[in-house]
Amino acid sequence: MAMPGVHQRHAWIMASPFLLFFAVFTVWPLLFNGWLAFHDFHLRTGNTLWNGFANFVALAEDDSTFHPAVKNSALFLLTVPVIQICALALALLLNPDKPLLGTFRVLFYTPVVIAISIGALVWRQILMPDGMLTWIGATLLGVDMQQMPDWLNDQRTALWSVMAFFCWKHIGYYMVLYLAGLQAVPKTLLEAATLDGANYGMRLRHVVFPAIQPVILLSTLLCTISALRAFQEILVMTGGDADTQTVPLYVFGAAIFGLNFGVAAAAALLLTLVCLGLAWLQWKWLGEDGLLRRGL
Amino acid sequence: MSSTILTPNQSLRCILSRAQRLARATPELARYGILLAMTMLTLFPLVWVVSSALSTDTGNIWHFPSAFWPTRPGFFWFERVLAEIPFGRYLINSLGIAIITTVFIALLAIPCGYAFAMINFRGKTPLLTLLVITLMIPSELSMIPNYLTFSRLGLIDSYSSVIIPNLASAFGVLLMKQAFQDLPREVLEAARIDGAGEWQLLWHVALPMARPMVATLLIFSFVQSWNDYFWPSVVLKSREKMPLAVGIFHDLTGPFAVSTGMILAAVILAIIPALLLFALTQRFFISRNAEN
Repeated sequence: MAMPGVHQRHAWIMASPFLLFFAVFTVWPLLFNGWLAFHDFHLRTGNTLWNGFANFVALAEDDSTFHPAVKNSALFLLTVPVIQICALALALLLNPDKPLLGTFRVLFYTPVVIAISIGALVWRQILMPDGMLTWIGATLLGVDMQQMPDWLNDQRTALWSVMAFFCWKHIGYYMVLYLAGLQAVPKTLLEAATLDGANYGMRLRHVVFPAIQPVILLSTLLCTISALRAFQEILVMTGGDADTQTVPLYVFGAAIFGLNFGVAAAAALLLTLVCLGLAWLQWKWLGEDGLLRRGL
Repeated sequence: MSSTILTPNQSLRCILSRAQRLARATPELARYGILLAMTMLTLFPLVWVVSSALSTDTGNIWHFPSAFWPTRPGFFWFERVLAEIPFGRYLINSLGIAIITTVFIALLAIPCGYAFAMINFRGKTPLLTLLVITLMIPSELSMIPNYLTFSRLGLIDSYSSVIIPNLASAFGVLLMKQAFQDLPREVLEAARIDGAGEWQLLWHVALPMARPMVATLLIFSFVQSWNDYFWPSVVLKSREKMPLAVGIFHDLTGPFAVSTGMILAAVILAIIPALLLFALTQRFFISRNAEN
């Protein structure tokens, strides 16, 4: 499009302040990380030395901390379908114009506005060995209190407890995304489908899901990345103890406690590549020509 | 009908119509039933926090179900929190950091989003791709290089080290680009033909029309900055500079970890400002009319 009187330099002037900060605090760290992944880095002297793929070899051989971290990060991905299905179901339930639904929307969004650290303070009290959850379980199910696990310190339950906290904190966010998406479903199409005798399930499958496909893609993508980067949620709940360490926690442990910046950067680089790879896969499956549009 | 005795035909019809009414009401009952159950699941921790923090006698706070109602209600724990934790200081820090961050995010993202939406320039597509890619990468991973940058600048333990790395919001730029793209082209073209410069167009024409999206950006940025825990906890060393999310967490997992009453009262005090802001602004992002 020809735009008389508009010069390219206007665009650069307008974009440059943002691009400057973006380059220094977002792009540079990424490049620096990528560079560091192939080097030994000595914090004290500032010396660096190219070491080929030694950092990656160290990761591959580290089956005491890195391998469990990978396993835990992979398990954490299970929160994605749980969050997406709950959020979409809530949005579908809350979408119609009916009494009280506005209030419910606000209630479900509350955990999102609470800081992670503050929410964790609450849940740590709930999940203590003699905390509220144990009491509720003992009262409602009649289980002996001694039989209940120490949710956050027992290796068998700790990761699952943190994952439950993660779902509690984030479902509301995706619910709002889906609610916004459902606004865009054409009413006329829904009415036409009803007139043609389509039941609720058929309307969902053939009208609603194709219409909100971009939102499903966006929401699943964002959720996958936030599950892979799960870090603050774990740090404030268990600090990474009781077999809850994920890859981002490993990165920080290696850098801050181990002072092994090269290995940390190598793990970070792997995580970045996995994020981009999963994003690409989801783009294929849920994107414009994906399953939701083509039919299952 | 004179008598209460119905013919078989009538009673059948009566039963059918009642069944029909029930069948029509069932989905609605199920809807509210599910929602109620989900609300209880979501909110029981918060209800418990409120009732326990208001209990001066904490003997009952672990007993289900009596814990869900305050025992000997009073504000004892709140008074202790305010006396022993520098709550006001944390609050001012949180407000200051969140407001400055939000303002600068908007100041950087709005012109940049405008340029991407309205002006064709060389390098636009690769730059946009780069923005989208950085959204797909965990930002936590850039913290170590950023920490090194700030320690080299000697800015560790300063407010600016908390604020500056968060100012370039790729999400904000993409949001504003979308907002400006959706504006009616004719109005902008008309203003251009009338001789308005790009800055005038942005400030006097595009920005007023994109107000709802700007509000969304401001609220999201504010809440995110308000709730940020990890980065501030890494760069801030002195207690009097900490925001609420950091200071309260450190105090309540450290020196006051044994006093459940104080923890819960402090949690409520920390949640109230965020909830208040949310209550005032929720129509922007939850209401059905957000689009209009």
